[in-house]
Amino acid sequence: MIFKLMIVDDSNIIRGKISRTLTQHNMEIVATASNGEDAVKQFAANQPDVVTMDLTMPRMDGLECIRKLRHMKPDLRILVVSALADKSTAIQALKEGAQGFLCKPFSEDDLTDAMDELLGESHG
Amino acid sequence: MFKLGLGKYRTIIVLITLFLVFDVGVLAMTFLISKQIASDAVSLNLAGQQRTLVQQLTKTALLLEQDATQGIIDSSGQSSFSELKELIGTADQFNSTLDAFHQGGRMVEGRGKVALTPQDDEQAAEQFKLLEEMWVPINVELQKIKQLKSDTKPDLGPLLQVLVADNLNLLTVSNMLTSRMESLSATKATNLRIVQVAGISLALVNFGFILYFFLRQLRTSDRAVERAQKETEDILRTTQEGLFLLDTEFRVGLQTSQALSKILGISDLAGRDFLALLKPIVTPKTFETAKEYIELLLRHDVKEKLVASLNPLDCIEVSAAQPNGAIESRFLNIRFNRVFDAGKVTHLLVTATDITRRVRLERELKESERKVQDQMGMMVHILQADPSLLQEFLRNAIKGLDQINEELRTGTATAGMSAKRIDMLFRISHRLKGDANALKLEAIAQSLHAFENLLDGLRANPSLRNEDFLPVTVRVKGLYAEIHAIQDALTRVAQVRGVVTVEPPKPAQDPAIAALPFVHQWRNFAQEIAQRHKKAAELSYQGLDLATLALPLREAINSIVNQFIRNAMTHGVESPVERKQRGKPEAGRISVYVSDAGDGYLELSFRDDGAGIDPEKIREAAVRTGRLDATAAGLADMRKLISMIFEPGVSTRETVDEDAGRGVGLDTVKDMVARMGGRVRIGTTVGEYCHFRVQLPLGGVAANASIMDTNQEAA
Repeated sequence: MIFKLMIVDDSNIIRGKISRTLTQHNMEIVATASNGEDAVKQFAANQPDVVTMDLTMPRMDGLECIRKLRHMKPDLRILVVSALADKSTAIQALKEGAQGFLCKPFSEDDLTDAMDELLGESHG
Repeated sequence: MFKLGLGKYRTIIVLITLFLVFDVGVLAMTFLISKQIASDAVSLNLAGQQRTLVQQLTKTALLLEQDATQGIIDSSGQSSFSELKELIGTADQFNSTLDAFHQGGRMVEGRGKVALTPQDDEQAAEQFKLLEEMWVPINVELQKIKQLKSDTKPDLGPLLQVLVADNLNLLTVSNMLTSRMESLSATKATNLRIVQVAGISLALVNFGFILYFFLRQLRTSDRAVERAQKETEDILRTTQEGLFLLDTEFRVGLQTSQALSKILGISDLAGRDFLALLKPIVTPKTFETAKEYIELLLRHDVKEKLVASLNPLDCIEVSAAQPNGAIESRFLNIRFNRVFDAGKVTHLLVTATDITRRVRLERELKESERKVQDQMGMMVHILQADPSLLQEFLRNAIKGLDQINEELRTGTATAGMSAKRIDMLFRISHRLKGDANALKLEAIAQSLHAFENLLDGLRANPSLRNEDFLPVTVRVKGLYAEIHAIQDALTRVAQVRGVVTVEPPKPAQDPAIAALPFVHQWRNFAQEIAQRHKKAAELSYQGLDLATLALPLREAINSIVNQFIRNAMTHGVESPVERKQRGKPEAGRISVYVSDAGDGYLELSFRDDGAGIDPEKIREAAVRTGRLDATAAGLADMRKLISMIFEPGVSTRETVDEDAGRGVGLDTVKDMVARMGGRVRIGTTVGEYCHFRVQLPLGGVAANASIMDTNQEAA
């Protein structure tokens, strides 16, 4: 099964890295967004199965974005990809409905392993 | 395919099923036979009743006959009406009972109706048949009387005739029938008892088996449970990790590993509130994050592996007072794994590990890495710095530190450290810091800065005690160590410089020079020795034409080069096979270079790509030849050992031939160079090369004595 992915991160470099790595990992990148507001719009239009979510972003932060996306699609799989400045914020994000956390900086293997774990063993 | 999966309970379930089957079977049989016995009892009653009815019928017929002859009138005013009615009634009852016996049906018996089944017993059936045959003529007469009009006087003669004639037979047959019924009923009662006894016996045996298997199973299970419990206890007693289960109310489970109390420094943990235990040993922020993290694992749909990095308790520092009063600081790792039951998280398995050793090692490693980096940086700066300035700084630094030490010693020993003395220490430190910064010795500058901060802290303290200066003394000791480290580094850099500069720049190959007679002679000489030792050699020369030099110098160079060639071809250059194995060209390469080194000196460079000088072989040779005793040889450093190749009588060759083995050769070189006021340097790497650099004064014997340097890059 090919999962549809949306990448939400304000860093162009990170978006590019996630996109390249996961495209080679049998995933289809249906949307990318650099802030929470854009992510909500893109989500409605593209209906991804999985979202990688940064926490610190302009306009709408990751926490609020996760809350809105989960409201729109309760079974959405969300992987928080963020620098580990504050563990408490990351835990809040998981309580809002994300299922996994990947700390920046990460390697390609870190990302694919995390995605496999998030989506179940069969993926990849 | 559907499978019950009864497993270890299969036998017991089969036995219980059998038990139930036996019980139900006995009950069913009891019910059926009881029902038959009840039916037989009715039949028995009715059979007795038939006997009575025959007697009653005869009696009524005789009464009616008597009434007819004596003219008795009954109460209703009609002669013998009631007897006649009774006669007909008795006859009807007899008929219907007979039919019921014969075909089955419902009969009035006692207060209610009872069902009769047709008699299937042959003997009883024959007796019924006999009874029926006897009854038929009586019944014919009775039916005739029954059909008479009520006002017609019946003629009872024919009836009485058959009745009297068969009365006794009817009675006899009825009696036989009754007896037969009694016998049948008794047989069924006996059968019932047999069925009950057999059924209950089987059920009891079965129950015995159930009990046996059940107890055996129970015992096996108990043993397994006891064994598992023992294993669990052994694990919990032996493991070095603190293990326990945490329930959804954050309570510690009843079973905990023995190590847990020691690791957490808290006893009697079972059943206690984990958060309450955690609160006093971590910071408020860590506590809040830990609480949220545990809640996350217990109550939220997250991937355990993907949130492990958020565990705030992966490395916490805890401090506890020791019995001797000292405060011991330890590092703990507390991690959580979810325990599922039927897809739901019921507990967290908590593993607490004392990682103090690991953390300290990591810190030491980091510190060591930092030091290496500092040293590397320092080496770079030392390489870049002006050596004379650096030496001056080091001298000043040691002097300054000595001054500081002296001030500290005298100050604390006498009237105490005054603010003035502290200012003085500060000034010394500040001056040294400025110099260190100028030379880009950042590590030293930082250490001096930290030293100044310490002094600042002391200046702010109005009531200083001697012990307040302890950290200052420690810091000064550290500064000494750092300065000495730079001195060491400087020595090493000087050594490296020596090796690096051993290879002087070479001009482009000049074919004319390479073809000069002295070069030709060296080549031939090298070839000769090579052939004797089954080796091969290629000699190249670059540099000055020796003919341009003064004769003594020319002869000296020629002699030295010849000695070096002999030495290279016997000791250094390996056999072609060995060279091939080492990835070298089969022929040994010898390069000779003579140049003007400036300052009135000429430099001869002689390099071969052979096996180099092995200090261990020299050590052995020195002991073998008695130049050193075993202890002195063991203590001799590389420099000392390599310099010994210039001493007479020391040869690493164990056999003597015309080229080597007597330990003469290089000592003559040394003597010659010394006489001429020159010096020799050696650079070598075992297995790679040996490089002699000889400096000789151009203008005859130099004023200074011979100097010999050895540089060994690698043993």
